[in-house]
Amino acid sequence: MERGLLKKEDLGRLLAAAQEGGRKVFAPVEGGTGPASGTGPAFAEVQAGRGVVLEYGNPALSAKGIFFPQREALCRFHGERTAEASLPQTPLLVFGARPCDARALTFLDKVFGDRLFRDPYYLARREKALVIGLACGHPGETCLCTSFGGSPAGRQGSDILAFDLGEELLFEAATDKGRELLGEQASLFREAGEAELEARRGIEEKAESALGEHLLRGLEELKEKLDRSFEDPQWERLTRTCLGCGACTYLCPTCHCFDITDEEREGLRLRSWDSCQYPLFTLHASGHNPRVNKKQRMRQRIMHKFSYTVERSGEVFCVGCGRCIRACPVNLDMREILAALARK
Amino acid sequence: MNDVSRRIREKARELFATGRIDAFLGYEPGSLPLRARPCLIQAGDEDRERRVGGLVWDSFCANNLAVFLPKLFEQDPGARGKAQAPKPRLGMVVKGCDLRSVTALVREKQAPRGNLLLIGVPCAGMVDTGAVEERLAGDEVLSASEGEGGKLLVRARDGRELTLFREEVLQACCRECRFPGPEAVDLLIEGPSRKPAEGVYERIRAFEARTAEERWEAFRREIGKCIRCGACRQACPTCYCKECFAEQTDPRWIGAGTELSDAMIFHLVRIFHQAGRCVECDACLRACPMGVDLRTFRGKIVKEVEELFHYLPGFSLEEAPPLSTFKEGDGEGFITEP
Amino acid sequence: MMDQASQASGWEPKIVAFLCTWCSYAGADLAGVSRLQYGPNIRIIRVPCSGRINPLYILKALQNGADGVLVAGCHPGDCHYISGNLVARRKFALLKSLLSYVGIEEERVQFSWVSASEGGRFAALVAKVIEDVRRVGPAGKLVKPCR
Repeated sequence: MERGLLKKEDLGRLLAAAQEGGRKVFAPVEGGTGPASGTGPAFAEVQAGRGVVLEYGNPALSAKGIFFPQREALCRFHGERTAEASLPQTPLLVFGARPCDARALTFLDKVFGDRLFRDPYYLARREKALVIGLACGHPGETCLCTSFGGSPAGRQGSDILAFDLGEELLFEAATDKGRELLGEQASLFREAGEAELEARRGIEEKAESALGEHLLRGLEELKEKLDRSFEDPQWERLTRTCLGCGACTYLCPTCHCFDITDEEREGLRLRSWDSCQYPLFTLHASGHNPRVNKKQRMRQRIMHKFSYTVERSGEVFCVGCGRCIRACPVNLDMREILAALARK
Repeated sequence: MNDVSRRIREKARELFATGRIDAFLGYEPGSLPLRARPCLIQAGDEDRERRVGGLVWDSFCANNLAVFLPKLFEQDPGARGKAQAPKPRLGMVVKGCDLRSVTALVREKQAPRGNLLLIGVPCAGMVDTGAVEERLAGDEVLSASEGEGGKLLVRARDGRELTLFREEVLQACCRECRFPGPEAVDLLIEGPSRKPAEGVYERIRAFEARTAEERWEAFRREIGKCIRCGACRQACPTCYCKECFAEQTDPRWIGAGTELSDAMIFHLVRIFHQAGRCVECDACLRACPMGVDLRTFRGKIVKEVEELFHYLPGFSLEEAPPLSTFKEGDGEGFITEP
Repeated sequence: MMDQASQASGWEPKIVAFLCTWCSYAGADLAGVSRLQYGPNIRIIRVPCSGRINPLYILKALQNGADGVLVAGCHPGDCHYISGNLVARRKFALLKSLLSYVGIEEERVQFSWVSASEGGRFAALVAKVIEDVRRVGPAGKLVKPCR
C-alpha cells in the first residue's frame, strides 16, 4: 500500500502488530528510564505499542544509539579457549525518527557498510530494520536541515514517512519494505483524501518556510574554503572556550567514532562510543599526541564533518539537527564557526 | 547595557591598554536565548576592541569561568625549568561561586594568585533555561531579555510574550546559594546581589530522610541516564587530572561504556574526589546533556565535609585541604566495635 | 534482605579484608597462632597502612562481587607511619556516609581498628562482619554482571 491514514489512537496497535510479527519496536516514550529520559521523550523499546508520544522536537539522543549502541559486546571470551560473537538477530522497527535523524542513518551506512569494511554488528541491526520517520511540522530555532541538503519531509533513510495531521497520522511508503508493512496492516488504515493530502503539503511548506528563515548562508564551496583555512589563525580564537566535554559528538546523529576495550573479568570485548574531543583520543603509546590542544581537536571535528567525509563518501556529514548547538555547555556554535571560515 | 557591564568593559579596556594583562576572561552574549557564554580575549587578538566592547554581565552568565584556569596555567612537561613559557597575567570576572573555585585552584597550585586580577561582580542569581522552557509548556524560547524590577521578558516561538520574574526561574544552585558575594577580589563592582540562602542543605536532608531503598532507586534511575560522555567532569573547575581514574587502563578501575555499575562508580568516585573542593556551582549539572540530577548526590559530600570537618572550600588559602590532614577529635562513630 | 534462594543454596558471604601490615594484619596472624576460630569468609589483602586504601579499592571489590568489605588499621595514635590512619579516618567516614546515602547497606563496608596484640578482637570483628553481611544478603547493587 502506498499511503494511508491512521488514527493516532491506533498507532499502538500498528506497533504491537509489528512486534507480534517478530520485531523489536523502538519509539520515543515519556518518563522512561535510561539515557535521555531526563530530557523529555527518548527512544526506548516499546512493548505492545504502549507509551509512544508524538509531541517532541527531537529526542536528545538520536536513533543512532539503536543501531550503534553506546556499549556493545563484540565478543565474549572465556579462558584461552573460545570467543563467541553473537550478532543481534531480531529485526527492528524504529518509529518517530525525524527526517534529519533518518538521513543520518544513511550516512552511518556509508561508514559501517561500504566498500572495504562492513561492520557486521551495525549491519545486522540495520539491514533488517524498518524505519518510520516522522516529518517535522514545527522546526526549532536551531534546526538547519535545509542548509545541508535535508528537508523537514525528507524520505532519505525512512521506509515510511509519517505526517502528524492532528487527529490522524498520514503514512507514506518510501521503500518497498515500507510498502509491504503498510500492505500487511492495511486494515488499520483508511484512504487519504484530497483534504489530507492538502494538509500534508501545507505542513511541509510551512516547515520549509520556517527553516528558510534561519538558513545558513554562504555555504557555497564550504569544503574548499575549509580546506584552505586549515592554518587559519581564526581556529584558535573560535575554539578557545571549548571544554573538550564530548557532548556534541555523543549527541550527533552521524558521529561514529568508537573505542574497543577488553574487560578481562567479564570476558568481554567491548565497543563503546569515543570522541575526537577527548585528549586521549589521539594519544600515542609514546606519549606524543598529534592533537594535543583543543583548537586541533575542534578543527578536526569541523573538518571531518564538512570536508573529509565529502571526500570519502560524497556527503557533508551534518544533517542540521542542531543538537550540538543546544548541548554545548559553553555555547560554542557550529553556525558561527562555519560562517567565520566560509567568509573568506 | 547595565552599569556592571559598562564597568567591566572599561576595566578590561584599561587593563589591556596599560599592558597589565595578557588575557581577559569574562562573558559575552551567547548565540541562543537565555545564554551568555565564556569569552576569553587575548591581548593580541585582532578584534580585541570589539570583543571587549561586547563583554556583558547579566542573569545568563551561569558558566563557572574558573574551569579555564588549569589549562591556561599548565606547564609544558616537555620544556624544563627556564624554558617554560611565562605564565599569562589574566584579568577575570568572578561571581561568588567562581571566586571560590578560583581560590580552591590557587590553593592546589593550579594557578598563581599573583597572575590573577580578579574583578568581583554582584550576583543576583542565574536563570535556569529549563525552568523558563517549562513555563512555556513545551514551546521554544525565541528571545529573552531582562526588564526592570527583576522581570524576564520572554518571547515564545508561537508568538506568545510572557513576563516572568527572575526569582521564579532561577537555577537551584543560585536559590540555595550561601555565598553570593565574592570577597577576596582585587576590584569589587558593587550592585544588587542575592542574600545568602537560609535552610542549609535542605535538599540533602530531604533525601536522607527517605528510606534506603528509595534512595537506591533514585540513584539507580538517575545514573541510568548517564551516557559516560564526561561533560560533567570537563565542566568542573576542580576536575583537572591529566589522566582521570576513569580512563586508567592499568589498573582498569571501570569500563568504558554505560554499564550501570561502571557509571555508578564513576559518579561516586568523582563526587568523592570533590570532597573539600566542590563549591556547588552546578557546572556539572548544566553541562550534562542527559539531565542527570547530579546536584542531589554531589551535595552530600559538601555537607559531610562541612559537618564532619568544619571545612568549606574556596575561602582560605592557608587552611589545609580536609583530606590531607586530620584532627585529634575527628569522629569515630562509623567505626565498628566488635 | 537475604532471600530464600540464597539461604537454600547455602550462600556464604564473601568478604574482602584490607589489613595494615603493622597492626591489623599482625592481629589476624595472632588470632591464627592462638587458634581462635573465625569464618573462612574473608579474603585478606595486606597493605602497608590503612592510609594506603584508595576508596576505589573498596568500590572495585564491591563491583567484582564482594558481599562486604572490611578495612582495619592501627588504633589512632599507634600508626606505624604516625598519621596514616588518622588521615584515612576522614576518608573512611566520608566514603561510608556517601555509600549509605545512595542506599548501599551500611553493613557491607565496615572500618575498624585492631592492634597487633588483639587477636581476640580481630576474630570477634570478623565474626561480627560476617554475620552483618549474612543478614543483608548477597551483594547486588554495585555488582557488575559477569558475561
